[in-house]
Amino acid sequence: MDIVLQLLFTGLGIGAVYALVALGFVLIFRATNVVNFAQGEFSMVAAYLMVVFAVDLHWPYGWAFLASLTGMALLGAIFNLGVYYPLRNRTFLPVIIATIGASIFLANTVLALYGPQPQVLSGWFETPGIQVGPVYLDSQYLLIMGVTLVLVGFNFWFFEHTMLGKKLQATSQDKEMASLLGIPVAAMIMLTFVYSALLGGVAGILVAPILFVSIQMGSTIALKAFAATIIGGFGDVKGAIIGGLALGVIETFGAAYISVPYKDGFAFLVLVAFLIFRPQGIFGERVAEKA
Amino acid sequence: MPLLSLEGLTVRYGEIEALRGLSLSVEAGEVVTLLGANGAGKSTTLRTISGLLKPTAGEVLFDGKSIAALAPEAVVKLGISHVPEGRRLFPGLSARENIMLGASNRGRMAKAALISESDEMFDLFPDIRPFADALGWTLSGGQQQMVAVARGLMAKPRLLLLDEPSLGLAPVIVQKVFAIIGEIRRRGTTVLLVEQNARMALSVADRGYVLETGRLAVSGKPGELWSNDEVRAAYLGGRIDKGLA
Amino acid sequence: MASALTARQLTGTIAYVALSALAVAVVGLLPMDDYTMHILVQTASFSIAVFGLTVVLGLCGQINLAQAAFFGFGAYAVGLGTADLHLNFWIALAMGAGVALVMGAFLGMTTLRLGGHYLAMVTISFQQIVTLIMVNWIPVTHGPDGIGNIKRPAMFESAHAFLGLCVVAMALIGYIVWRLPQTPLGRSMRAIRDNELAAGVAGINVYRVKVAAFALSAVLGGIGGGFFAGGFAYVSPDQFSFAESIVFITMTLLGGVASPVGALIGTALLIVLPESLRFLKSVPGLYLAIYGLSIILIIRYMPDGIWGFVQYRIRRWFAPPAFTDAATELTLVPARSTNTVDAPMALEVEHLAKHFGGLKAVDDVSFSVRRGEVHALIGPNGSGKTTMLNVLSGIYKGTAGRVVLGGRDVTLLPPYARTAAGMGRTFQNIRLFRSMTALENVIIGAEHPGNDIGSGHAALVERARAALAFVGLEARAQELVTAFSYGHQRLIEIARALAGNPSLLLLDEPAAGLNSTEKQGLRDLLKRIAAKGLTILIIDHDMTLVTEVAQRITVLNFGRRIADGVAADVLRQPDVIAAYLGSEPDAPALA
Repeated sequence: MDIVLQLLFTGLGIGAVYALVALGFVLIFRATNVVNFAQGEFSMVAAYLMVVFAVDLHWPYGWAFLASLTGMALLGAIFNLGVYYPLRNRTFLPVIIATIGASIFLANTVLALYGPQPQVLSGWFETPGIQVGPVYLDSQYLLIMGVTLVLVGFNFWFFEHTMLGKKLQATSQDKEMASLLGIPVAAMIMLTFVYSALLGGVAGILVAPILFVSIQMGSTIALKAFAATIIGGFGDVKGAIIGGLALGVIETFGAAYISVPYKDGFAFLVLVAFLIFRPQGIFGERVAEKA
Repeated sequence: MPLLSLEGLTVRYGEIEALRGLSLSVEAGEVVTLLGANGAGKSTTLRTISGLLKPTAGEVLFDGKSIAALAPEAVVKLGISHVPEGRRLFPGLSARENIMLGASNRGRMAKAALISESDEMFDLFPDIRPFADALGWTLSGGQQQMVAVARGLMAKPRLLLLDEPSLGLAPVIVQKVFAIIGEIRRRGTTVLLVEQNARMALSVADRGYVLETGRLAVSGKPGELWSNDEVRAAYLGGRIDKGLA
Repeated sequence: MASALTARQLTGTIAYVALSALAVAVVGLLPMDDYTMHILVQTASFSIAVFGLTVVLGLCGQINLAQAAFFGFGAYAVGLGTADLHLNFWIALAMGAGVALVMGAFLGMTTLRLGGHYLAMVTISFQQIVTLIMVNWIPVTHGPDGIGNIKRPAMFESAHAFLGLCVVAMALIGYIVWRLPQTPLGRSMRAIRDNELAAGVAGINVYRVKVAAFALSAVLGGIGGGFFAGGFAYVSPDQFSFAESIVFITMTLLGGVASPVGALIGTALLIVLPESLRFLKSVPGLYLAIYGLSIILIIRYMPDGIWGFVQYRIRRWFAPPAFTDAATELTLVPARSTNTVDAPMALEVEHLAKHFGGLKAVDDVSFSVRRGEVHALIGPNGSGKTTMLNVLSGIYKGTAGRVVLGGRDVTLLPPYARTAAGMGRTFQNIRLFRSMTALENVIIGAEHPGNDIGSGHAALVERARAALAFVGLEARAQELVTAFSYGHQRLIEIARALAGNPSLLLLDEPAAGLNSTEKQGLRDLLKRIAAKGLTILIIDHDMTLVTEVAQRITVLNFGRRIADGVAADVLRQPDVIAAYLGSEPDAPALA
């Protein structure tokens, strides 16, 4: 039972990271109908930015964090202008491939600038963790869960209780109608990309001390986040969050009880199973063939 | 000078020429109706005025100034509010939220002000007050139509473009919606109304235009149009008995 | 493809064979260093895999981000087969191709429910799972160590000989892929890519074709991988990862998706170019970063790839000429119904309902269309007419009720099966296959099962020409449909439906968007069709047209039938007039 609790804690911790990245995905998808294959790279770039500011330049963590997030906001804006916006009227295939190209570009630019050696980023807290009964609560995991909780709360407040959030929702639901009301659609889309880049960035910075900061971390996280959104129901915000948490738990238990090397495979197996048997996920609506 | 003036408007919709040299005008304070069979170009006309479509030839003048090249966000800021066909409420937002978003063209407004203005809308449309917090997709057709019109009015427009408000609504509801059009005119907003239901439209309008395959077929006052064979021919083809007028 | 080739095609084939022979001779005989030979083997084997993408993505429009996995199946089959199991190269290759075929078909089967993004994700997941297995199933795959000592086939053991073999294989497969677009299967793929909905309605079994496309793509990937393994004698899992799948996609896109020539150009460029720009590889990541950037730029500025761009320019020189002989007279022989006695009713609709959640778009509607008549279905906007038509043609599944076509219950049949049973249909917003000529569009309409016109390509062409002549466009049969005016495109769509020998023709707003001259032409055409004895069900708003061609009219309003009978009578009925002109208000005086 002790082991179960420990695994549950770890699973939720890593699941929270998936949830944040998945949330960024879903927001972009709802606003633009685009699956952003570069979402994981947002997390990776943010982690590297932290390494630059906090480790190389020895800035205090707080400042490094702010600087990294500023960089991410900029990246989101450039991504929108360079990749999505010029292709916004084309069919989905060119856009998917363009975002894949962007993900390759981002990953390898970082590689070219920084080299292939994985980097180490230390955790935020001095104390590595606290023991609560039989369970050891790693402080970084606690931080992850805490920040995710705050962000999810913020997300809910922002979208449900501010006019700007309502305008973003309106843009997602019916772009043309939104423009007829005077909502600046292009600005709303820009905001969505910047916000999603920030979410992905925070996820990357939070998880960096646990995994190594490496070029590959982006794609691994992204594919898991994909799986999470499918499980939760593609396009559904709470589905993304619950899917992320669920996947983290499944994966952690799977690694412990079934097999470690194939740990990453669980995400894909679950993904494929859902895609075949229940493509609309847990919360989504029927995936209709377009008539 | 007319509030709105279309001159020789030609618009392509994909490969089809949807409007061919259409000219019409709307004076301030009027209710003008655009009639015609499905496919005649009525909705295309409104979509061109509000900036969703760009004409290949001709002019759209509002207060004498050309607006044909403007984006929809700019057109609504000038005071033209378009309530499009099919109501198009934001399905995941409540009726009140939909209405509040109607003021998006008026710059930043305090949420309290928006809420009180939406309350005023509920005064105008008392039937939907009980549904203020219901999500858009749960409302009936008639309720959605009223919310859509209220949303359009929140922009405080000088010209309201209404596209087929009676579409898919039962006759009783249609009556209510058209009664509101009368009230809107009373309050000083000019209305350009596109309708398939010619009878209802002519009962509230000051003037009417009848379109046929992208061109103006006939225009005049409601009484003249109603007794004009052309109107019936535009809808029902050929000449038929007037026995039912 | 067994039928005789036309003179044009024969010339093309001879040219192709000559060029290939030249290429084989050059690589086989010209002395070259090991490095160059490795490059060429890589180009040849990669090209074969990219040909696979030309088929599934270029021709059929389906995304496959797992081609490297299939490439890997072939490579590992040959590797394990020759090195571990000491099998003959050809047997190992065949096994690899077989495994790839099965896996490809499996992936294709997921398209039954998924398309677009979901399909992309399934293929990515598949790719990732395969990579994981390659790396971790060490007892079988040797894990990250890879497989060495891979053998080549007997008689082709020397580098030169094997290279020659690779080029021969590439030429053979390239030929098949080159000719595929003109075969029925290839045409079906292109139709699905251009307009999936219309393809189904024209009689194509869309699901089966997609599975075939995936299977074929996978087999080609596997074959390419097999030759790659033989050429390099050593393979390891990192050569078959998701990144490589992206490389394959980029080669396809760069060269031009829909053509093997484009595939070859793209492959060669993306292998040779980086080699000559080798300094880029000195900084890890720089080469791939530029790669990623190029993908974005290609998609933005050259969506048809290099060869697509060229093809567009030279198309006029290679366009097939118009036919010189006269077309035959069009005969309309409707598909035989399964009953021995022809049913008097071409179509019977019984208590049909279609609900979308709470909305009753069609509410308990019944009517019958008499054989040989023109029957109109009318009603104001939003009355349910188009929904009704979509249920009749099988695009929507009805909520309740039956659809009986010529005595046969077709209620549960998908669109292509209804076409085989004798239903033809046109769409309100014209759905032609825009990358094809008028002739090809109409041929697709003609080549569905159930259409008894004799076998062979010549019969199809004759039928298509007859249909085009009937609508007056045969002289321009070999032009792309995009070159025709809107009104003419409408006629081509009707010809496509007619070529399929329907027993019932459904026309959805055929007059929409036509000017008055074109409408008159349409009206005359409809009368000629009716004179041939074909049954027509037409939806339209143009009452002049409707009254001139229709004998009977059914009127819908709010999803219900409010009138049904002889045309002249129906249009006089008060509720019909009210439905169109408007309901009676509490009559305020009209000014």
